[in-house]
Amino acid sequence: MIIKRIAIKNFGKIHDKTLELSPGINVLYGENESGKTTAHTFIKSMFYGIQRQRGKAAKNDVYSTYEPWENPTVYGGTIWFESADKGFRLTRNFHKVNPMSELLCEDTGEILDVDKGDLDVVLGNVSEAVYDNTVSVAQLKSVTGQDLVRELQNYMASYQGTGDNSVDLGRAMQMLKMSRKGFQVQEAHRRKETEKEQEKLAANMEYLRQEMKELDERRYEVEDKEKSLHMKPGEDDGISLLDDRIQTITRRKWMIYTGMAVFTALAAAGIFLFGKFMPETVVPQILVGVLGLTVLAGGGRMQMGLTRELVKRRKMKVRWLQKQEKLKWNRESLDEAMEEKRTALSNLQAEYKEYEEDSYLPTMEGTEIQALNLAMETIEGLSGNIHNQVGGKLRERTSRILSEITGGKYQEVLMDQELRMTVNTQERIVPMERLSRGTMEQIYFALRMAAGELLCSEQHFPVILDDVFGMYDEDRLKAVLHWLHKENRQIIISTCHKREMEILEKEGIPYQKLKL
Amino acid sequence: MRFIHLADVHLGAVPDRGCPWSGKREEEIWETFRRVIAGIRENPVDLLFIAGDLFHRQPLLRELKEVNYLFSTIPDTRVYLMAGNHDHMRQDSFYRKFEWEPNVVFFQEEGLTCVKDEKLDVYVYGLSYHHQEITEALYDSARPQEGIGLHILLAHGGDPKHIPMDVSSLAAAGFDYIAMGHIHKPQILLRDLAAYSGALEPIDRNDLGPHGYIEGRLEKGRIKTEFVPFACRSYEQLLLILREDSTQYSVEEMLKMDIARKGVRNIYRVILQGFRSPELLLIPEKLKDLGYVTEVLDESRPSYDLETLRKKYSGTLIGDYISYFLEKDRNTVEEKALYYGLQALLETSR
Repeated sequence: MIIKRIAIKNFGKIHDKTLELSPGINVLYGENESGKTTAHTFIKSMFYGIQRQRGKAAKNDVYSTYEPWENPTVYGGTIWFESADKGFRLTRNFHKVNPMSELLCEDTGEILDVDKGDLDVVLGNVSEAVYDNTVSVAQLKSVTGQDLVRELQNYMASYQGTGDNSVDLGRAMQMLKMSRKGFQVQEAHRRKETEKEQEKLAANMEYLRQEMKELDERRYEVEDKEKSLHMKPGEDDGISLLDDRIQTITRRKWMIYTGMAVFTALAAAGIFLFGKFMPETVVPQILVGVLGLTVLAGGGRMQMGLTRELVKRRKMKVRWLQKQEKLKWNRESLDEAMEEKRTALSNLQAEYKEYEEDSYLPTMEGTEIQALNLAMETIEGLSGNIHNQVGGKLRERTSRILSEITGGKYQEVLMDQELRMTVNTQERIVPMERLSRGTMEQIYFALRMAAGELLCSEQHFPVILDDVFGMYDEDRLKAVLHWLHKENRQIIISTCHKREMEILEKEGIPYQKLKL
Repeated sequence: MRFIHLADVHLGAVPDRGCPWSGKREEEIWETFRRVIAGIRENPVDLLFIAGDLFHRQPLLRELKEVNYLFSTIPDTRVYLMAGNHDHMRQDSFYRKFEWEPNVVFFQEEGLTCVKDEKLDVYVYGLSYHHQEITEALYDSARPQEGIGLHILLAHGGDPKHIPMDVSSLAAAGFDYIAMGHIHKPQILLRDLAAYSGALEPIDRNDLGPHGYIEGRLEKGRIKTEFVPFACRSYEQLLLILREDSTQYSVEEMLKMDIARKGVRNIYRVILQGFRSPELLLIPEKLKDLGYVTEVLDESRPSYDLETLRKKYSGTLIGDYISYFLEKDRNTVEEKALYYGLQALLETSR
């Protein structure tokens, strides 16, 4: 693509300015603040339009910066260019109220539709980002050596991995990793909360088990007591012993009653008989009476003792029965409590299991982490693709250009795994840090030119060199201008010095002077 | 004749474990059940159907006693009750030996049985789960017996693992009403004929919307039913649509207002959607402090115009990246990955 003429109607501080360009080298000369950058922005805006920023950012966006102070409704101009051997005229008004763009193919007289993407086709689908990376070459920003080395290495790495020198892969990946870290921390926190809940459940379960153990022990105790009362069926138990004893006592009591009755009868009979047959003496009667009374008294005492024992045994039996009843009730209520605890425990176990099963479910944070991982993998993969397509070729072409503009002094640019750059002279490998500023500028130039060729290989675009030769000595400048002439491309050298023009004239290289 | 049909009370469940209101919710589930009984005491119904899962897990004996006591306070209401999959009758279940009040009918068998209420001429059919899962369609062969009166089927399940059911053919078989349980969302399957009453109180954050029971009455020989919202709170989903000028503060205000409008008692799941400014660093966790909020799902996206960006960066990594995802039928993770990566690449650009 070749720019033939630009007519700036009203753009920033430039009004009604027409510049005719040659297809070869053009030198856009002007003092500082004369509007060179405005001209570059105009060209780019003509091709890609001006996207307004939203919100606060709009105050300092391109639109606001170049909005004309006078007559702001006319904001734009016209550009004539040649693409694929056809001439085009593109007119635009950027004003926000009624923006207008008109693309005319001068050879066919056909009016094309910018909004429908006809311009993109005419531009060979070179995107704005690619334009930024190839067409406009600004000077290196860094001042000191170390920064310069870093800047150059970044350029090279970015081109190789992203095809875009403004992308900072390292920092982008860092940012994604930081986000991932945040979610990982959150996930760990949540997991800990869940674990705490689980621990609570486990503690409750342990508590229940303990209670169940105690219940068990108490039940054993009750059982032991029951055993000691011989309450097992089929065994001699306390009750039957007591019953036996009560029976024995009752029997004995009856025997004594009977004995006493018999004895009383015998004694009465004795007294009667003695009175009848031995009336002369009362002694035997008295003796029998005393004997009878004594025996009766003894019998009565025995009877009282037995009665006491019987009462005692009966009471014992009642107490024993009560005890048995109580133990049985105890055992049953312990069994019931045990059942209750067992059910409660199984419920807790079920809940604990649910917690475990839930821990396999995807979490909210898990999704974010997965997404971040996918983002990183994809970036790495795509960057690897670009590296494969661009990386080697870029280094080769950069080396070639560097060799040509240094007269073969530097043959090769190398980059290692850690993205450290070195250059190969005819004799040895020199780290970047050891090179002069001028040489580094040459490497930068070679790199930018190589990138431009590789990134838009289908259609050559003009190259705008914005003050890039400031650090060049005369020999270097001469060499690079000869190289540019040899390349036979449209070049716009933007400068505030007259050196470039002087050397071009001295070397007899044809160029077009553009004056702002 | 009036009846109440409820199900899935899940007594003993502890919703939202880990949230500060969890213990309170456990108590509320009991409380709402007590309120139903108290309501019946005030305004008695003839029949109360509890279509399974009265308990969240195996009932404890004291819990059965408590429930039984509650039933004893409504002696004029006949209660029909069954074990569902959650409180299924295990070998050691207290259900097996429990002695219910005379006004309670508990369906013991895993096979369908019919109990007739002589006074009201109502035939109730039911069974109890003896297993956690039953894949057999135990209800599908059910047919009402001969007999004039109302034939009501108490049925719990309806999914492949919990007694699959063909409800319309069951209704066609001649049942006058099918009182269903298991699905927590209240839904009428056939008008005045078959319905899930839904959980009485919502049990977890997925039980969205109103909950309660179904009240039925016999009008001119036909059963009329009506859903009665009765739960003391509900789980709701709140959609907050972010805009480019949204900030953390504005989102918080928006949420506060929405919660005030939809009820401060309710428990919310907050979903952020829409397009936010790429610069906005939102802290969703902070939204959780503005009410009963269980979780905040951030589905909002930075307001990038993907097509424009793809065009602008075509031929470079950013362009490739956008194209890679745009050409896909993206799932959630891929959608998020697209924006994460894009934002990182754009924001770290020199």
